Amino acid sequence: MGRWWVVALSEAVHGDKALAVTCEGEQLAVFRDGKGAVFALEDRCPHRRVPLSPGPVKAGGLQCPYHGWTFDGATGLCNDIPNLRRDERVPARYAVRAFPAAEANGFIHVWRGAGTPAAVLPGASYRAAGREQTGSAVANIAFEQYLDVMLDGPECLVSFPGVHITDFFLGDPRRDGEHLVLDRGAVWKCKGNGPAFVRDHSLWVRTRVPLRGGDIRVELLSADEEPLVTIFIAASENRRGTTSLVWRGFRHATAAPLSWRWRMARAIGRAPFAIFPHIDGAAVAALEVAPSRDRRLAKTDARTPAERVVPVQERCAV
Amino acid sequence: MSEVPMMDAAGREAEATSKRDWVPINLDLRDTWFPVAYSADIGERAVRRIVHAQDVYLWRDGGRLYAAEFRPDRLEAMRAGASAFTNGSGFYPAVERYGYIWTWYGNPDNAHEELIPNIPFLPPDGQGIPRYTQRAVRFDAASPLSVENLIDLTHADFLHANAIGDSQSENDVVEVHSTSETVTRIRNVTRKSVAPVMRWIGGVRAQYQDLRAVLHVHLRNNVCISYPNFTPGYPIPNVQPFVPVGKHRSRVDQTNYTVHAPAPFRWLMPRISYVIQPQDNSVLRPQNARYFESTERRDLSSRFDGPGNRYRLLMVRLAERQQRGDFGYGADADPSADISAVLGMRG
Repeated sequence: MGRWWVVALSEAVHGDKALAVTCEGEQLAVFRDGKGAVFALEDRCPHRRVPLSPGPVKAGGLQCPYHGWTFDGATGLCNDIPNLRRDERVPARYAVRAFPAAEANGFIHVWRGAGTPAAVLPGASYRAAGREQTGSAVANIAFEQYLDVMLDGPECLVSFPGVHITDFFLGDPRRDGEHLVLDRGAVWKCKGNGPAFVRDHSLWVRTRVPLRGGDIRVELLSADEEPLVTIFIAASENRRGTTSLVWRGFRHATAAPLSWRWRMARAIGRAPFAIFPHIDGAAVAALEVAPSRDRRLAKTDARTPAERVVPVQERCAV
Repeated sequence: MSEVPMMDAAGREAEATSKRDWVPINLDLRDTWFPVAYSADIGERAVRRIVHAQDVYLWRDGGRLYAAEFRPDRLEAMRAGASAFTNGSGFYPAVERYGYIWTWYGNPDNAHEELIPNIPFLPPDGQGIPRYTQRAVRFDAASPLSVENLIDLTHADFLHANAIGDSQSENDVVEVHSTSETVTRIRNVTRKSVAPVMRWIGGVRAQYQDLRAVLHVHLRNNVCISYPNFTPGYPIPNVQPFVPVGKHRSRVDQTNYTVHAPAPFRWLMPRISYVIQPQDNSVLRPQNARYFESTERRDLSSRFDGPGNRYRLLMVRLAERQQRGDFGYGADADPSADISAVLGMRG
């Protein structure tokens, strides 16, 4: 069964140029037609295999920059080969693979795999409620590892200014549909005695990591679990063991007590978070495999969610 | 509570435990009280604690203590999802004693106050326990591994030598006793090098001191009650409840009851946990990851591992009993019985 993947920010695809992206290791060309509808084609001309993405967007679709063959965004069919005589037709089998594409909340999604595209898009769960920070990058870490590290050590992948993310996570990851959710303690830097000395953490960092797909949510919460920052990170497998990242996030308006550094950062318009494209290999290698173990186990658990529910009376186990 | 004398050789237990691997990560023992927070830490604002990956929210309202599965502002909306741990009410049984809030983990119908462990050196009503004796620390391992670390004698002389002291002594004898619910380790050391912490801030100027250290461990809730008595010197009674946060972490709200020690030792000594804890975590963190799955490569033991192996054996027995549906306490178990004599307290 296929699934939707976020491949780009909405604002990154505009005008008469296509955007080259990589999803599940495959190169795609994403573009809009004159009405703003979004399309995704295999980034490979079937004529001489050159990438389509550098070509211009024409009325009939995306035109190959090499010989001008043009491909319809919805079907992938080649509808124009320059220099053909008027009585010549493009053979019906001349086409590139086309992928269903859809847009929601500032994210462009592409459906990959078998089956009818699902009605719900991953990006639909994200709703900005403040000034957004957005970005995209290719991170120097493999996709599955990126998801695992988001559980084992998110401080290697993301930061919040003035916030120390601890590695004391609360309990074990809890299952929420097709995601695992884990909270960990965090404290304001330069406030109090440091993370080892606090009785109760003044902040939480909540990571929501998929078992399948690449939609990640990271939230910075107050001690009362009021959201301070929400980040939606879409990850997918890029080439050569790297990971494509696309993100949007925003700072919530809050009455929760904040550190002076946080208030200062807000006053000068500094981004409330940072996503690391360059990941410290030594820091990642030093992480013990801990909550991500549950993700790997859950991924291989073939039972249905209903079958996986264990009555609480039977939970005691060796 | 009757104590079963040690079955003579630690080697026999090492052999028994070596027949099967020790996989402590998934031990989830029920029907017990956990000291989840200091009473003094809980006010009107809800505080979140975790027991075996379950949320426990604590707060007071109108002077009354509440312990619930959900935040107070979400309680009504979420109550339909309350678990059997609260009989569907959303509220855990909760009791305040010895300066802690104890919440019940298990079938609420079995929550009896007499199952709260006796801590003879702390005032039962918690009144007068100074805040300087209370320090919360976090361990990067599941509770059973953390408890094993505490039971383990020989590591301290190496990992904590700069704080607690080296392994030099004239004589070092260890006894272990147990019931179906407890392990008691007694260590008698003569002419041990005086611990640096006691020499430099405790005013003990002698070169050597004798030590009688009793550690009494409750298996279900990992409450470790310790009474190390130094001569010359003084006792440093302490409680270390290893509350299981999950499979990877545990939290310990310690009470180092140093009120009878001289100043400034009494104020500074409880802070030693901030030195000890990172030292322990440096080994516990990688160790925990290696105890997730059973392996053919069994742990090796020396004769010093007798108490730890006894602990492993009893924990597995208890877990197997609970797996069979038996959550009751055996005839030899009485957590609330006075353990003053067991600890060897003076007077």
